[in-house]
Amino acid sequence: MKLYYFSEMPHHEYPDAEGDKYPSLRLAFPNTFFSPDIAHKNYQRYLDEYQLADEVGFDGLMINEHHSTPSCVNVSANMTTGILGRITKQAKLLILGNILPIQDNPVQVAEQVAMADLISGGRVLSGFVRGVGVESWWANTNPVHNRERFEECHDLIIKCWTAPGPFRWEGRHYHFRHVNPWCLPLQKPHPPIWVPGTASPETAVWAGRMGYTYVPFLVSFEVARELFDFYRQGAAEAGRIVTEDKLGFLICAVTADTKAKALEAGRHFVWRMGPTLRGPVEFFSPVGMRSRAANQFALKARSVSLSKMSYEELVDNYYIVAGTPDEVVDRFARVREELGIGHLLLEAQESRMDHATTTRSIELMGKSVLPATAKM
Amino acid sequence: MKPREEMIAVGETKVPVLIGGSGRPLLVLHGAGGNRGWRRWMDVVAERHTIYAPTHPGFGRSDSADWMESIEDLARFYLWFMDVAGLGKTALLGHSIGGWTAAEMATMRPESIERLVLVAPTGLKPEQGEILDIFYYPPEELLKYTVHDPATIPEWAELYGKKPMPEELDIAVRNREMTARLTWKPYMFNPRLPHFLPRATMPALIVWGREDRIVPVICGEQYRRLLPKATLSVLDRCGHQPPIEQPEAFARIVLDFLGRA
Repeated sequence: MKLYYFSEMPHHEYPDAEGDKYPSLRLAFPNTFFSPDIAHKNYQRYLDEYQLADEVGFDGLMINEHHSTPSCVNVSANMTTGILGRITKQAKLLILGNILPIQDNPVQVAEQVAMADLISGGRVLSGFVRGVGVESWWANTNPVHNRERFEECHDLIIKCWTAPGPFRWEGRHYHFRHVNPWCLPLQKPHPPIWVPGTASPETAVWAGRMGYTYVPFLVSFEVARELFDFYRQGAAEAGRIVTEDKLGFLICAVTADTKAKALEAGRHFVWRMGPTLRGPVEFFSPVGMRSRAANQFALKARSVSLSKMSYEELVDNYYIVAGTPDEVVDRFARVREELGIGHLLLEAQESRMDHATTTRSIELMGKSVLPATAKM
Repeated sequence: MKPREEMIAVGETKVPVLIGGSGRPLLVLHGAGGNRGWRRWMDVVAERHTIYAPTHPGFGRSDSADWMESIEDLARFYLWFMDVAGLGKTALLGHSIGGWTAAEMATMRPESIERLVLVAPTGLKPEQGEILDIFYYPPEELLKYTVHDPATIPEWAELYGKKPMPEELDIAVRNREMTARLTWKPYMFNPRLPHFLPRATMPALIVWGREDRIVPVICGEQYRRLLPKATLSVLDRCGHQPPIEQPEAFARIVLDFLGRA
């Protein structure tokens, strides 16, 4: 099983009481609490941590993107991937991912991912996501068109990578008369495509049909298995065999020299389960963004909101893994046993988890966890 | 008065239409909240006019029209509707996004619109203030912003007093989705509309609630300035829904305007 290191690059250096005054930390919390000086230092730190994760042997580094939120100030996954492509040596660079529905120029996305793939020597795994609703607000993209734009943007990117230019694209949402990107991926026919899932059965079916690697984020084993069933349904429709290499899972994880230290560090993940997801449903799922089926599935999948769970419950239910390296190996083995996955993505830094704790966790993972998971 | 309902097909799209009253036709276009049925103000106006109140495509029980992208599309749909329904030259009344639609129609085919009534229409960018982002708020919170004082609204209990049935909730979602489809960007206005409004030379009445928290009253002034023959009537102690907030006063103003020679 392959392990991936991931940091959301949070900017949590403000008084929590200030954030509590607003309906949500996303969209509504004023950016007057953003500190360029702190962000400057944080970006150096977060990139150093990614670099260390590469050095200790993580199979991959996951990079994501959000907007208008202190929970993630990685506002350009492709820019970060370009940097990591240059400063890391061996790890796959998993962009998870480019938020397709909010893109106005899919050709530029195709170029940027291609450029990162070229810089990194063909290490990019190109994830495509629909985004949370906040991103639709940020980009002012009509959420009613979210799924249509996701699929059309995807189709155009793939065509950019696989069809010789120049060609014309006249779709429903995208119109380009002269498509001829002079920057194409090193990997052929193109970097592997990954798709995350939290609640949408349609996305799981679609990913299965396309043969893409599918990764549920922070759901229970039971919900993950249901989503994998939807994925298999799509794969079967297209006559595809599903191997474990096509299935991944994302959890939060930290290790330390003692169990007590690890459990203390793991508490930093609680911030991303509650406060950073707090807010009106309209922010996260604006009108028309989700189908009724997805809404119903989401209600079932999140019958108990993560924000309502105690730290202990989050640990007991594998949303957070925190322990000594041996304990972490055992927990990861259980995740693999439950889900039959080939990729485990670790959100491994969060909130105010400091640099020393984060780097120690990365070192221990490299020394004691990665050798074990490589054999799983 | 009891109206009848007819399904009218316009091209590939069928919409239910409430028809009631007698006299010259008055086409009534509803707002983002959807077609609220036959309301008290209509009873009064229908004594002198035949009211046609269709449900917009994509709203309520109308056929979907996912291909539509803008209020201009809806305006063209309703000009076609007028032909299909055989309305001839008609009076036209629209509320909120229905008012915006009516304004667009009046600029596209002014010769077919006898008189125009715009009730708190969206469609113009306010010179001061902003049109409230209705998609940003939960529906129950938004409802409070749409009116000045629920206690003064005679039909409040009938319209909003009951817990909605599942089918009504589905329709509410549908209405919001179609509204988003038509108005998302630029939000609730058409930057080209002010350039065309001078073409709408029919007599026009603009009605606004002074306490409108959805569309600033200044938009009423802008419409009055741009439409060559418009008067603006502002109702005190009234929010964004004059037809239900002050049904008698509203019906009187409308009848008075439509009845003028």
